[in-house]
Amino acid sequence: MAYIKDTIAAIATPSGKGGVGIVRISGPVAVRIGKEISKRETEHRVATLVSFYDDRGRTIDQGLLICFQGPHSFTGEDLIELQGHGGPVVMDLLLKRAIQLGARQAGPGEFSQRAFLNNKIDLVQAEAIADLINSSSEQAALGSMRSLQGDFSNQINSTLKKLVQLRVLVEAAADFPEDGIEAEINKDEKEKLTYLLNQLDQLLEGAKEGHAFSQGVSLVLTGKPNAGKSSLMNALCKRDVSIVTEIPGTTRDVVREDAIIEGVTFRILDTAGTRQAKNKIEAEGVKRALKEVERADIVLNLVDVSENIELEMMEELEKNKRAKEIVVYNKVDLLHKKSIPSSFQCVSVKTGDGLQKLKKRLIKELGVLSGGDSIFSARRRHITAIEQARIHILEATGFIGIENQIDLLAEELRLAQLALDSITGTFTSDDLLGEIFNNFCIGK
Amino acid sequence: MKAFDVIVVGGGHAGTEAALASARAGASTLLLTQNIETIGQMSCNPAIGGIGKSHLVKEIDALGGAIGIAADRAGIHWRILNSRKGPAVQATRAQADRALYKAAIREIVEAQAGLSIFQQSVVDLRFKGQKVDSVITDSGLRIKTKGLVLTVGTFLGGVIHVGLNKQTGGRMGDAPSNLLAQKLRDIEFGVDRLKTGTPPRIDGKTVNFGLLEEQPGESQRPTMSFLGKPEDHPRQVLCHIAHTNERTHDIIRKGLDRSPLFTGEIEGVGPRYCPSIEDKIKRFSDKNQHQIFIEPEGLGTQELYPNGISTSLPYDVQLDLVRSIKGFEAAHITRPGYAIEYDFFEPRNLYPSLQTKKIVGLFFAGQINGTTGYEEAAAQGLIAGLNAARLSQEKEPWVPKRSEAYVGVMIDDLVTMGTKEPYRMFTSRAEYRLILRQDNADRRLTPKGRELGIIDEKRWTKFCEKRDQIDEISKKIKKIFISAEDKKVNAMLNKPLGREYSLLEIMKRPEIKGMALLEAAGLKMISSSVAEQIEIDCKYEGYISRQEKEVEKNKSHSDQPIPPDFCFDSIPGLSNEAKQKLALIKPKNLGQAGRIPGMTPAAVSLLMVYLKKGDSIQNVHAD
Repeated sequence: MAYIKDTIAAIATPSGKGGVGIVRISGPVAVRIGKEISKRETEHRVATLVSFYDDRGRTIDQGLLICFQGPHSFTGEDLIELQGHGGPVVMDLLLKRAIQLGARQAGPGEFSQRAFLNNKIDLVQAEAIADLINSSSEQAALGSMRSLQGDFSNQINSTLKKLVQLRVLVEAAADFPEDGIEAEINKDEKEKLTYLLNQLDQLLEGAKEGHAFSQGVSLVLTGKPNAGKSSLMNALCKRDVSIVTEIPGTTRDVVREDAIIEGVTFRILDTAGTRQAKNKIEAEGVKRALKEVERADIVLNLVDVSENIELEMMEELEKNKRAKEIVVYNKVDLLHKKSIPSSFQCVSVKTGDGLQKLKKRLIKELGVLSGGDSIFSARRRHITAIEQARIHILEATGFIGIENQIDLLAEELRLAQLALDSITGTFTSDDLLGEIFNNFCIGK
Repeated sequence: MKAFDVIVVGGGHAGTEAALASARAGASTLLLTQNIETIGQMSCNPAIGGIGKSHLVKEIDALGGAIGIAADRAGIHWRILNSRKGPAVQATRAQADRALYKAAIREIVEAQAGLSIFQQSVVDLRFKGQKVDSVITDSGLRIKTKGLVLTVGTFLGGVIHVGLNKQTGGRMGDAPSNLLAQKLRDIEFGVDRLKTGTPPRIDGKTVNFGLLEEQPGESQRPTMSFLGKPEDHPRQVLCHIAHTNERTHDIIRKGLDRSPLFTGEIEGVGPRYCPSIEDKIKRFSDKNQHQIFIEPEGLGTQELYPNGISTSLPYDVQLDLVRSIKGFEAAHITRPGYAIEYDFFEPRNLYPSLQTKKIVGLFFAGQINGTTGYEEAAAQGLIAGLNAARLSQEKEPWVPKRSEAYVGVMIDDLVTMGTKEPYRMFTSRAEYRLILRQDNADRRLTPKGRELGIIDEKRWTKFCEKRDQIDEISKKIKKIFISAEDKKVNAMLNKPLGREYSLLEIMKRPEIKGMALLEAAGLKMISSSVAEQIEIDCKYEGYISRQEKEVEKNKSHSDQPIPPDFCFDSIPGLSNEAKQKLALIKPKNLGQAGRIPGMTPAAVSLLMVYLKKGDSIQNVHAD
């Protein structure tokens, strides 16, 4: 049975760990992609040392290219492996290039699924494949949720809102020409499209430059004053960045520093503690801290357990935390009697106890160790979607004010929305009609 | 009475198309109706077509149906909607003379070979096990059949509201089919209530037309049927537009305490796109006027249908509100407006063939499935009638795909997602809108209809003639070149040619009209519709091929069939919600499964893996 006609690509190794990383490409155009990315002919089952090039001919990395011709491959299709230096940046560039050359980013468990559908994996393993699809789609969902935190998500949502508004107008004019909507449509569509285009450009800029790939994962430390945020920062960065005193409220502004943990760059921000501020300067510090928390990829909320804190309060904290938040219980060295459940993240910044565990947790939180869909691949998916949407919006601009082509304008807007749907969830034609009926008095 | 292959119950728009399609497909067919005089009756507004709807009409026509031909014989005012917005959203609408329309349908039905009409009320259905056996009529007759199509419209448990008065009825003046409704409720198809309404009708001689805005029809009249000609149309008349005003709105607001819509008397859900006037006033209180289209009921009557003020307010409020409208100061209401509540059956209990999942041989079509509109009903009727006939002949059912026809979009929507309000077609429901145009319905569907045996020789010959000419001219325009000095062609363009171009290249330019260019090049055509197709083919080539590629890409995956007895429970990792929905809807293929609301891509992947597993096990057993 020929199920599949397109070519998929994914980072096949846990990224962020240094060493070797593999990008795998499977499907009818895999071999062509291999040729174009390496500018070399490929040979079946021979590993060749090559350079990998980007779209402007610049070298991304040097590594091995291995070609497996179907059906003699893992998936049963033509399959290419690009083995480069691990690390999220290089891997992401290779994946990006593969997508440019016609591959689609693979869905959860899709390589194994293809292997199964092409009879490369035993029937008995169907359950295992099902498990894999399930667990990796859960991870993908998590990765996507993490990619969508902070400003990025707000911007996407506001862009989408504008796009829906525009579609409502265009579709209503097409489906309800006798309800007086046309008068509204000619006014400022072009302006709206230009605005949308700018929004998408900004999103792309932000997503590409501001994100983990180049500048690191943003990690914000919060907690009551004197919970040990500055000390933790120093411990993670292994040097004295923040001034540490025993006086609560020492850190009044946001202090930034980079730390590299397991090959991933973290941009750590130490904030003023969020307590009732005693003076104006501290108040400003608290305000900024709250803003940083909004934007952060991960938030570490430090709790001083040497103060009177009951188990119920901790459970309450765990229950109410944000998706991107880890509650860290500090100063456990000062605890003698109280026991804390092992699932809770405990450290003593002073003795160094639990620091390794915390670092491991941070990496796990990013999903980069699992080899599944991490925040990196999730963000790549999102960028690809935004780029596609941008192409259609650009096309749409060409149809403004041209007679007889509202149907084409509507089509480009639909495709733009379809691309963004992969980020924000499906928007059905019925949802669209609902919006139209809410906005216009339709009907004879 | 002798047995029939197919029995159709109901003589409305769904019933007549069902009976005709069944008979055309070669099944001996019986049409049962409470009243032969009401065959082809338009119970709501006197118009056929409109946006999305003329797409359906032309598709039914392309499959040999009657609605387009009847509209051509009855259309007294024609309009092309969206004429400047692009071919994919362009539509045709005709105001129809009710009497002429009914007569045309009756004539076509009576002339159909293999189709008998019989005036009887159906009071009971008999099944053998889970299979249709026969119907029992009010005269106590039992008639055996293999396929039974129910098209009973709003007659199931119908309740009519005028103000706080209510009475049972299927349409004003006709009795409801309560015995049948009870029988069907007993089978547990999942019943719900919907509501629809009509405006008060007005006596035209009491209206001052001088105060209304005139709305003339098109001077170049289109047709609905592929076989139609403008000469088929009867005498043409004017339509008018009137408006409500603040005084009208005040009258309505004061009457709301006696509106069954707001007192809780009406439970059924009404359509959002066709709200009653009291709904409009309440929801859009900032609008100080609403449009009313004053549509003539026919050539032989003075009665008017004021489209836009459907209402269930009490008669005295209706009269006051009508008389507050400019031009209607002395108006006389001939029939009060009313709301009607009726039963419909959960359409997710149907296969795409419109056969019920519970009873083999029982088909539902029309308003009974939660749709509204003559065109929507007729389209379902055709599919149900055709498939009932095919079942009786032990042939596989046929239903167009979403990429083939609006009919396919509608049926897939209904059986996959169900509906919460009366379902009406809109072009925005069709994701392949650019290839599903009203202008190419014949090219999309007539060859398929011929294959199915429901296209007669006359239509087929004419279709082939057109198709062959399109092919021939499409080839020619690549080879015919127009010189840079050609006066006729340069006159059509915004700027002169400059060099020699092929006809094909020139045709792609937006300002070029296909017919004019082909004529200038000396090409002769049987009709302007040939030029239209060539022009659209050229101008939209890129977009059409992009959508066709999309269809092709999804094909291998979405066309993969799911066996009807497939056990979704056996798939680990599917959520219970997904399993329940899959078990209820029993999707025919992976594509349909993926469109069920809430089905994730991961769930579809799992399904794919387990379908393959089921396959392999079966193959092992077969070996």
